[in-house]
Amino acid sequence: MAETEHNVIIGTGVAGNRAAETLRERDPDCRITIITLGSLHFYNRYSLPKVFQGCDDWRQLLVHPPSYYEENRITLRRNTRVINVDAKRRAVTFAHNEEMHYDQILVCSGGRGYLPEGLSDFAGLMHRFTSFEDAMVIRRLLPAGGRVILLGGDMIGLDLARTFVETGYDVTLVANDFTFWPHEVARQDRGTYEKALTNMGIEVHRGGRILGVEEGGEGKPARRVVFADGEVLDGDVVLPFFGLVPAVEFMLGSGVDIERGILVNPHLCSTDDHIWAAGDVCQIWSPEKNTYRFYYGWNNVRDMGEAAARNMTGAGEPFANGGGEDLRLDKNGRLLSPFWDHD
Amino acid sequence: MSAQKGLLQSEPDEPDSAPSADNGSVYYSEDPRDLGWVAENVPCQVACPAGTNIPGYIQAIMEKQYGRAYEINREANVLPGILGRVCSRPCEDVCRHGWPENGEPVRICHLKRSAADLKHSGHRITESLYTPSGKKVAIVGGGPAGVAAAHDLSLLGHDVTIFDREKEAGGMLRYGIPAFRLPRDILKVELHNALRLGVELKAGVCIGNGDGQVTLESLRRDFDAVLLTAGCAAATRLQLRRETGEADEGGEDPVLRVADAEYGLDFLLALHRGEKKTVGRRVAVVGAGFTALDCSRVARRLGAKEVIIHLRTAEEYIPVSKEEIFEAKREGVKIVGLRTPVGLITDGNGRLTGVKFVQNRLGGWRADGRRQAIPIEGSEFIEKCDTLFVAIGQKTVNDFMGLDLDLDRWGNVRASEDGMTSMEGLFAAGDFVNGSSTVIEAVGHGRKVALGIDTWLMGRVRRKTMVRMEPVEKPLRERSFDFIPRQHMPTIALNKRRKGLEREVETGMDVDLAHEEAKRCYLCNLKYQIDIDNCIYCRACIEVAPRDCIKLVRDVAINEDGSYGKLEEISEWNQVGAIWIDNDECIRCGACYLVCPTRCISISRLELVTRDV
Repeated sequence: MAETEHNVIIGTGVAGNRAAETLRERDPDCRITIITLGSLHFYNRYSLPKVFQGCDDWRQLLVHPPSYYEENRITLRRNTRVINVDAKRRAVTFAHNEEMHYDQILVCSGGRGYLPEGLSDFAGLMHRFTSFEDAMVIRRLLPAGGRVILLGGDMIGLDLARTFVETGYDVTLVANDFTFWPHEVARQDRGTYEKALTNMGIEVHRGGRILGVEEGGEGKPARRVVFADGEVLDGDVVLPFFGLVPAVEFMLGSGVDIERGILVNPHLCSTDDHIWAAGDVCQIWSPEKNTYRFYYGWNNVRDMGEAAARNMTGAGEPFANGGGEDLRLDKNGRLLSPFWDHD
Repeated sequence: MSAQKGLLQSEPDEPDSAPSADNGSVYYSEDPRDLGWVAENVPCQVACPAGTNIPGYIQAIMEKQYGRAYEINREANVLPGILGRVCSRPCEDVCRHGWPENGEPVRICHLKRSAADLKHSGHRITESLYTPSGKKVAIVGGGPAGVAAAHDLSLLGHDVTIFDREKEAGGMLRYGIPAFRLPRDILKVELHNALRLGVELKAGVCIGNGDGQVTLESLRRDFDAVLLTAGCAAATRLQLRRETGEADEGGEDPVLRVADAEYGLDFLLALHRGEKKTVGRRVAVVGAGFTALDCSRVARRLGAKEVIIHLRTAEEYIPVSKEEIFEAKREGVKIVGLRTPVGLITDGNGRLTGVKFVQNRLGGWRADGRRQAIPIEGSEFIEKCDTLFVAIGQKTVNDFMGLDLDLDRWGNVRASEDGMTSMEGLFAAGDFVNGSSTVIEAVGHGRKVALGIDTWLMGRVRRKTMVRMEPVEKPLRERSFDFIPRQHMPTIALNKRRKGLEREVETGMDVDLAHEEAKRCYLCNLKYQIDIDNCIYCRACIEVAPRDCIKLVRDVAINEDGSYGKLEEISEWNQVGAIWIDNDECIRCGACYLVCPTRCISISRLELVTRDV
């Protein structure tokens, strides 16, 4: 009897889980392993703002019950860091030195919050918002009715800002070129969209260059953001939201082409026939635009996971970006973004 | 008071830099097996083009002997304070601490700088002088290769004269590298120390056949040997089209003709010669090396609001250290990949308004180890900018020679292993032979050719590379050192960087940081061996080893040079021929030595040294 195909998926976000689901549907016999650095099962990142609405049980955020993986014969390896992918030997190496062989691998490691290099000295004074654990830390630090300072303000951050406002916190957004990322908003339109944020209850600070983040003085909020012109903003927590950078470090020795993300063809296959990529980690070749580009948002990422899995099982279909990509206002002047659409 | 504080940081009275007088326990070997062992096991020293004894100086720093560390450096590289700032660090790429599972490489380069920074303020430099030879050597070019060769030749007793077209010596160190990376006071002191043993510097003298110039032929007549170290003094040209505005008349390079476009090298040379330079609000830089990065960082300091470096491939594949990229980004420089410039866009007044690029995809690997970029047909796009710097490489200029020398296909002078060109008595070294390379490669080659010149002048080999072998009484490291993270290099705040071009960005490690970082070095020059005649095969060393570094072997292959090769491991006790320390895996923690009940494990230090024959 021939050995079953071993499909390894790195990352247990939207793309990885959708891919696993699709692979199981199309190949009931294949072996599927999902590897994740995190300690939790797959939960919806878009649900994390619920933490500030009182949800403090991670089980309420899970997309699938833990039994789902067993029922679908999907091995989920948590707390496992991949340090290398050897394309020639088709082997993945973990930080604890274990090697796992694969027939095909799908990289869905996603993106990590980008912190501009100029702010890196102050990383210890800011709080990331990428996981349930991060959300719990921020919630613990925020006093009731406290002030949150958002630097940059990408669409992940603005989604969170909506929740903060709804739950009684004060939000100050320090707007700059990263505000509304990944939407590319023309300079002349920024004012309109920033006004929409103001209408949402967010205080928009279109200030100068950020000089740094400091600890607050005695009797003052825990943090202060200092600007080059001497202005100071006080807040209880400072959250940077400057978009994502693909998490590709472990792929650098694999030999596949990488620019910012893993470069893939429209079928989501990398320059190695056995390595695929989907989600925020990949740049997809666009024959129409003659360039590699990222596609963001829940729906795109989910569709990429599905398309990659279909192509890994022989479908031969290019990824199609289904939705619009523009930021817009509804008739009441509220901000709408396809980036915020999710199941 | 601060001077006293400085004194306390260093040893009060440093011993002579040379190793202690050799006693009966020190041996020097030219045996290929010993040379082969060092080549296999001390990757940093082998990777250093100057052959710096890296474990040696790091151990000295570990012992807080900064002056000694500086002198160990100086034996191989006469400019430690300079290279400790601007070296391309080939040693760190191969550092055993950076191998898989071992963590991050040691900050070898910054430790070199620490030795220079932290040495006693009244540090005494040690030089071993030969008696005067009566021979005269002319060196054309006072850059790193020329200075390194001049220093070594003067030690060897020859009278050396450097001719340089610039007002001061230093070559690209002075005229190519911005002061915020290499402060000029450091440059001045180290060049002075390198040249003060009687080297005559004739600055502002052009070699050539024009009016007022000194001909190479006359140098050959007046000196016993002539060394060409003129470097790569010209920018590599980029073929661009002029897309709009004034009609392209063809012929002249648009980068030279459009006022707002300039070759990065020309820009830096002019800036450091004292010319006032300005940049526009939006600056585009094309190129992937240190010159491109330097141009971008200078542009930010000159007031550019937006600076973008455009790459043909991607950030991952460019030959610049990650730290340099990080600092450039901190200063607001953006880096974008997969694009090749094809044309300049100018307005009706001939002013630059943008650059036309074509989108690339990544191709295979070139023979030189760089990635290929393949343009995609019909994918042109325009990026707006007010200033363009092109920094895609440098090349030699050799039309000043007026001699019919053999050249390679890039126009570099061909030279033999000892540096001799196709003309008797005319030598060449550094970038002038090898093409555009790095400072440490230039220093290393300058040194090597200096020995070649000495051999030719004196008619015999006077100095040779050997392995110095010395027993070591106990392990020099502790296992806990392996868990020390790579220490950081402190830098000045961003708001202070915009105040001119002089302020050095990296401020140097203090005593505590340097000491902590030095402890991370595995000291790969220590050789651990098991005397199998005394081994009782108790396996205690295997039990205590933190890695798979002690092996039961059936046989050990012998390499062609006689050194030991691959181990044939075996798990069956009845077939074990020996118990062997795999020096590839060994991290010199000393655990095996300490646990051995029969003291059958020995430690010896093997160092490459250059010694009188």
